[in-house]
Order: sequence, then C-alpha cells, then structure tokens
Amino acid sequence: MRAAGERWHDGGGCTDLERDGRLIARISGREIGVLLDRATGDVHAVRNRCPHHGAPICLGAVRERSAGAPGRYELDGRRVLHCPWHGWEFDLESGRCPEDGSMRVAVYPVRLEAGRVLVRTSA
Amino acid sequence: MIDCDIHVQIGDREQFLAFVEPGQREWFRSQGPLLGTPGYTWVHPTGFMRDELEAGPGGTPASTPELVCRELIDPYGVDVGLLTADDGIAVSVMASPYRAAAYARAHNDWMRDVWLDADPRFRGTIIVPAQDPRAAADEIRRVADDSRFAAVLLCGGAERPYGEPRYLPLFEAAAECGLPVAIHSGAEGLGISTTAGGVGLPSFYIEWHTLGSGCSIMTHLVSLLCHGAFDRFPDLNLLLMEGGLGWLPGVLWRLDTNWRGLRSEVPWLDRRPSEVVAERVRFTTQPLEHTDGADELLFAMLEAVGAPGILCFSSDHPHWDYDDPRQMLRRLPADWRPGIMHDNAAALLRARPVVA
Repeated sequence: MRAAGERWHDGGGCTDLERDGRLIARISGREIGVLLDRATGDVHAVRNRCPHHGAPICLGAVRERSAGAPGRYELDGRRVLHCPWHGWEFDLESGRCPEDGSMRVAVYPVRLEAGRVLVRTSA
Repeated sequence: MIDCDIHVQIGDREQFLAFVEPGQREWFRSQGPLLGTPGYTWVHPTGFMRDELEAGPGGTPASTPELVCRELIDPYGVDVGLLTADDGIAVSVMASPYRAAAYARAHNDWMRDVWLDADPRFRGTIIVPAQDPRAAADEIRRVADDSRFAAVLLCGGAERPYGEPRYLPLFEAAAECGLPVAIHSGAEGLGISTTAGGVGLPSFYIEWHTLGSGCSIMTHLVSLLCHGAFDRFPDLNLLLMEGGLGWLPGVLWRLDTNWRGLRSEVPWLDRRPSEVVAERVRFTTQPLEHTDGADELLFAMLEAVGAPGILCFSSDHPHWDYDDPRQMLRRLPADWRPGIMHDNAAALLRARPVVA
C-alpha cells in the first residue's frame, strides 16, 4: 500500500544509468542518486547525503560487505554503499550503517519503465 | 583491598640462582645484577625505589615476603596482593630464547616457593619467554596448576604487537588455563624489542615515563583488538598495567571511529572495540594521572569508556612513583571505591580463589 502523498518521479534515462552506473537527480527538493549495481544488476535510489558528515555518498562505490573469522577474509552477500568520505558503509536495502544503528541514509523505491528511471518519494 | 601490582625484588641472588637449571646457572651468575635481563639505556635520576623503605638482602627493598608484608600488606590491610616481577618482566626481550625460558622457569619457581608459600594473601604472576611463544605456552601450562598463580605477565617491550598470530600459542594457553594476560609497561627498546612510539629511544627517563610506558600499552591493546584475540579466545581477559589512563578515551574513540570506516581490513570485528574493552580488558590505576585539580574531568572521561568497572587498584610498591592506597581512596569518587579497590580485580581473577 502506498502512503498518502507518495508519488513516482522521473530520475533520468536508463541509457545514462547504464553508461555511467549512476544518476544524480533533484527530486522533491532532495538530491537523490540512482545507482546501478553492476555485479547484481540491481538499481538503488539513495539520498545523496551521508548522515555522518554530509558527503555526496552516491559518488561512492557499491560493493559486497566483507566478513570472516579472525584472520580470514570472506564476503557476506550484503551489498553496501561505501561513502567516499571516511569509508562508512550503508546497507543498500535498509539504508542503515551496520556499525552504527543511529546512522541511516534514506533509500527509495525505484523502477525502470519505458526507458526512464522512476523514483518514489513522499512528496 | 586487592593490590594488583607489587614488584617483588630479587635481593638474594644466590637464592634465586638455586632455582635456575644447573646447566645454565653459571651463565646467569656471570651476568651481573640484572642476571642477564636487558638493562635500560637511560637511568632513573634518583633511583627506581622508594628511598625510605627498609633495605633487605643485597641492599634491596621489597626483597623478602616479610618486608612486603610489614611495609604494605599489613599496614594497609591488603587482602590480596598480585606479585609482579621487576627486572624479570624483561625476560621476553632477551636475545636468547633459551636463556629466557630458563630465567622464566626459575622466576616462577622462586615466586612459588619463596613468596606464595610465605603468605596466603599473595598471588603470583607467571613470566614467560614471549619471544618463543610455544615455549611460553609450555611454561604457562607447567605452572598454572598451582591456583595461586593468578595471571600471565608480559612486558610492554616486544618484537611485534601482541595481537600478531605468532603469539597465539601464548594467549591460547592462558585462556585455556583461565588466566588473564597482564601486560605491564617496561622494557620498550631493550634487548630485541622495538621502541615504543616508533621514533627511536628517548634520551631521558622522564620521556619514557611520560610516553614510552603508555605507547606500548596502547599498541598492544589496539593490536589485540584488531586481530580479534577476544573473538578467538572467548575466555581471554586482559589486564593492562602501568600504562596510564588519560589516553584511553581518546584512543578508543579513534579506534571506534576507524572501525566504522576501515572495518573491511578487519571484517571479523563485529562490534565496537570499546565494547570489547569494557567487557574483557581491565586497567591498573597506578600511576593515576595527577590532574592539577581536574580530577572530575579525568573521571568523567574514564566513565565514558567503562570506568569504574574497568579499573583495578595498584600501588606499584616499592617503586618511586607508588600510589598510596589511602590517598587513592580519598581521590576516587565514593561509589567507585568498592569496585576499583576490590571487586573488579576479584572478578578478573575469578578462576583463582581470592581471599577477601
């Protein structure tokens, strides 16, 4: 069910997203980044402001989160956005920083339709 | 009251040498007053010991159980005193691992027969040749059956930070035996160790006493946390001794922040390092920083990283910079006193019965 006031916005063209791996759009007064995770093919929409120090977080890398027992390096399957300032990571599904539950970046529903990237926000 | 740092002295060298294996005894006898442990490159300007203490055998204070009881344990009502080596803590930076192993064995047997047998209030620490971690593990297992030994004792000086995998056998043995590992500042830059702080040896004792002693403790703490020692060994506890306390909040704030940004380098750390410290690491109080009247500020900062639960009283008897138990009681906030003066150390040494 959709909350009152929510609607889909045009965030840019799919061709640009495919070419650059990301789009930055101004939607409802907010700067929102649309990120193409080339490893999985998933598309994510994330507010382009890190809650830690205000960095343009959508210019950071999308990667798989590392894990492991002491001395062992493994991957845990979770996709995270790595902020270009200070390196904090944010889960691309929930927007939460796994290391600090008080830190969360806004994430938005996104879909591709008729060659356009659509992002749903509350206004 | 539990005093977690009482440095027992070797005054009667021949008494000590009798505990050294016969094949190595003459070598140790020929090495002078330090019995082969490395000497400092700087000299304390007025002497390492309190001048007013009674000299025992060899002109050395605190060199018999009777002296330590008469000058510290009895008058202050110390219920349990954790005895620590003095020059002997530098055993693990001796060049020869074989001499080091022999010295450690002798020191532990001397501690047991001369000190622990003398008074039920004494608890011992086990020194080990950390430069040979397998031999160190063997020594821990050899001695640990005697429940009067309450901790393994390492010095701040080392070849590498103690979180390094080479030291795993040592920490594994301690955890297996239910013994906390105590790391006491000292011996940085001596023997085969590297200098604390990474910029070479200081010129003066005042420099070492201000920085060197703390730098090594910070380094080992951060190393053990980053290598995940406490995840590897769920029974491992750490007691950091005489490295100062004022730096602790700053270092833990920095480490927690860096963990958020750099955790891919140490992805096994699944919670804030400061949380691990609050659970598994304890710190002795001496020398509690003199604050020129700003004790409230110091205590507020320490409270932010787990005080009073992380602190255990230590006097450092018989050294010149000793913290007097009564003076410490006056200084501490009233509600901090039971934990710091007794309960925290009693819990840390829980595997070893503590007479309260």
